Amino acid sequence: MATLADSGIDPAAVTAFLYEEARLLDQRRWFDWLALFAKGGMYWVPLRADQPDPVNHVSLFYEDAMMREVRARRLEEKRAWSQQPLVHSARIVGNVQLGEPRGDEILARSTFLMVESRLPTQRMLAGFYTHRLAPRGDGFAIVEKRVDLIDSEGVHQTLEAFL
Amino acid sequence: MMFFSEKTMTYQPSDIRALVEPDRVHKAVYTDPTLFELEMDRVFGRAWVYIGHESQIPNTGDFHQALIGREAVVLIRGEDGKPHVLFNRCPHKGAKLVAMPEGNAGRFLRCPFHGWNFRCDGRLLSVPAREGYEDTRLDIRDPAYAVRRLPRQQSYRGFVFASLAEDGPSLEDFLGGIRLTLDNFCDRAPEGEVEVAGGVFRVWQRSNWKIFFENLNDTSHPMVTHESSVNAARAEYQSLGEGGQMPFELHIIEGNGEPYDFWGALEMVAYDRGHSYMGAIFTPPTDPVSLAHQASLEAVHGPERTQQILSVQRHNSIIYPSCAPHTSFQQLRVIRPIAVDRTLVEIYTFRLKGAPESFFQRSITYANIVNSPSSNVMPDDIEVYARVQEGLGTDGGDWVSLHREAGREKTEGDGRYTAGGLSELPMRNQFRAWASYMSEEA
Repeated sequence: MATLADSGIDPAAVTAFLYEEARLLDQRRWFDWLALFAKGGMYWVPLRADQPDPVNHVSLFYEDAMMREVRARRLEEKRAWSQQPLVHSARIVGNVQLGEPRGDEILARSTFLMVESRLPTQRMLAGFYTHRLAPRGDGFAIVEKRVDLIDSEGVHQTLEAFL
Repeated sequence: MMFFSEKTMTYQPSDIRALVEPDRVHKAVYTDPTLFELEMDRVFGRAWVYIGHESQIPNTGDFHQALIGREAVVLIRGEDGKPHVLFNRCPHKGAKLVAMPEGNAGRFLRCPFHGWNFRCDGRLLSVPAREGYEDTRLDIRDPAYAVRRLPRQQSYRGFVFASLAEDGPSLEDFLGGIRLTLDNFCDRAPEGEVEVAGGVFRVWQRSNWKIFFENLNDTSHPMVTHESSVNAARAEYQSLGEGGQMPFELHIIEGNGEPYDFWGALEMVAYDRGHSYMGAIFTPPTDPVSLAHQASLEAVHGPERTQQILSVQRHNSIIYPSCAPHTSFQQLRVIRPIAVDRTLVEIYTFRLKGAPESFFQRSITYANIVNSPSSNVMPDDIEVYARVQEGLGTDGGDWVSLHREAGREKTEGDGRYTAGGLSELPMRNQFRAWASYMSEEA
């Protein structure tokens, strides 16, 4: 079995990728963020941590490239009423741990803490990222980004921007 | 203009009636906390309120928490196999008996404070060190020491309703013509039954509960409120460059962008007690998923009865004042007023028993894309409701308009009223019921 040590993956490069991804989202650079995904890549925010799958249970987000683009486009629409004022975020990604690679694919788990502001209010969101990454060029492409909010089953305010 | 009787510091029936005119309502109905408290007593204290569905509690001890007005209640399956609706309060010192939104209590409900145990139908089962109550005024055989049941409880095809009022119309009479929505909800299942499945979204709205109800059959808001998601879905469809049929996921977003004529041609029907529905907007269903569902119905009922079932085409129905079923996509939204400017909405998805899995999975997709707090559609609704709540808090005007097509509805008899698809009939109809409850006439 291939281990992380002999896979040739540089953990620092994975961490740097996650930081860069966070920066794109915090800068509302949606279309640059969309480009990070591999073809067929999925963005999934389950409603329950133990949710077996995204098709027989509702999810907060379960988006392929088409639906991610719809969301990005909507966030930039002039008459997206709930984006007046705009949502802004600042997030910290940490506790990055790499799992055993599966074939070409890298598994990266991390914890995030983000503050989201829509003036005049502000809220805190927290949870866990699980990235499945495939090597692409000098870096990586996202095969799946899964986000488990610690309060995923709670009563939610609206969630509009990508987590 | 004062609506408050200064002598009694409360609303008299004549004050209430002055708030609701045939074609406009006073803003106080949305903003006055005193009226909200009165609503808890007079609307939610008297109407049949949706509690939950029997499929949520299949086994003995399974429970589901709900709210009826201010009251925290528990829907629980008893050893007798029946659903029971109980107040979530230990008759000993008052602790809530269950804390989780849903779960299984085991063979009995155990109070976490002093260990009084109750059967799942609420009857007292055991009290520790019971000799301490000998020769006291507390008789543990007294039904007063059972978990109190709601005064009335009734199911309609698995949908459990309860009422805080001892007397009033039966559930069937209360539902009146809107019963057909619940019938059709179930009849669309080849086995004639539905079950809650696939989880529940819970969403906060920073607005009065009535604003959401009014919006559910408001056909002149979609193209305006949802412009951003309509434009995004259309642009995405263009960029796919494939032509042909729009993918389902885009179609259910883009549908809000239909022109006024489209909405005007829809059926708009209201019933006494505040209920109403509007005709379906995603028709006729000729896609493979809908056709597979149709085939599953035909296998049981044959083509004629199937056609009869599928010809009942409804978008949102309103069962005033607690829930809104959507029969085409098996959704049920449950509305819980929390404060005058705060509302909890729960969004459930149902599985049609005996229908293909793909049909249920499409309902899940619909819930995700249109009804979730994280959809591209709902945030603009919730934003607009909050703006109404905030705007009504200003001194910019006392009245809210309900004039669209006022006076043009047709009275069809048996408490049924019809109007054009753009009519604000459902709003006027809700306030007619509201005024009746609130002035204690109903």
